[in-house]
Amino acid sequence: MFITFAFVTLLGALGMLLQKNVIVAGLCMVATFFGVAGLFLLLANPVAAALQIIVYSGAIMVLVLFVIMMLNSHEEEAAQTARPVQRWVSVALVAALAFGAVKLVLTSAGLKDLARSGEPMPGAMTLQKVGTTLFAEHLLGFEVAGILLLAAMVGAVALTKRDL
Amino acid sequence: MTGMDAILNGGLQGYLVVALLLFAIGLATVLLRRTLLMQFMGVELMLNAANVALLAFARFRGGDAQATVFYLFIIAVAACEAAIGLALVIGLYRHRGTTDSDRAAGLKQ
Repeated sequence: MFITFAFVTLLGALGMLLQKNVIVAGLCMVATFFGVAGLFLLLANPVAAALQIIVYSGAIMVLVLFVIMMLNSHEEEAAQTARPVQRWVSVALVAALAFGAVKLVLTSAGLKDLARSGEPMPGAMTLQKVGTTLFAEHLLGFEVAGILLLAAMVGAVALTKRDL
Repeated sequence: MTGMDAILNGGLQGYLVVALLLFAIGLATVLLRRTLLMQFMGVELMLNAANVALLAFARFRGGDAQATVFYLFIIAVAACEAAIGLALVIGLYRHRGTTDSDRAAGLKQ
């Protein structure tokens, strides 16, 4: 199961990176989000999986697809100046970063201990536990997130409206 | 369950490797693609990679609810970023008729 969802996630992401058409890239990204939601289910966290599907695959993707269709720019524009050196340097840096980090994860002794001690499966996350923690311990953070969302909403309207 | 076995069957290291590769692909998208919308999707991928690592650690440290609360905050911030980022892309398209980040390098109108 894990390997299936991991493949869906990574192949979706790779498809997004390599796809020329922006809409197809967006749909590849939906596949990635569903794969990540599956990983959250395997992590015994159905709350996060449901939120992932509702917020990312639902809200954010619809927003992105609306903007793609509104701008009517389905293909990437031709490059103004080709920058082969910068592109190859960035590919090399990303590959080195990924290789180094994966190697570090696989050789770390602390992570091995944590993986061994975490073997017994804790009970699945419930909405009740999340709600209790959210409102008992993080009430201020919750209110700040609400204000942030309001500010983002006002800002988005102010930025897109031609004459306020 | 450690090493190669963990990667194939979903141990902690397996989730972390998936998160790291997802982050690397997102970073590559931001660096290699020129369309602002694609770069924005790359940023979303990187946020998702951070979420996978966060919830994997939470599961292997006893299934604490704190991590899910922080996941909630992260997606709230990601939603704000989506709204503002796309509004900026639309604003740029109105002013310059392009969504290419190379063509939007100057500050002059």
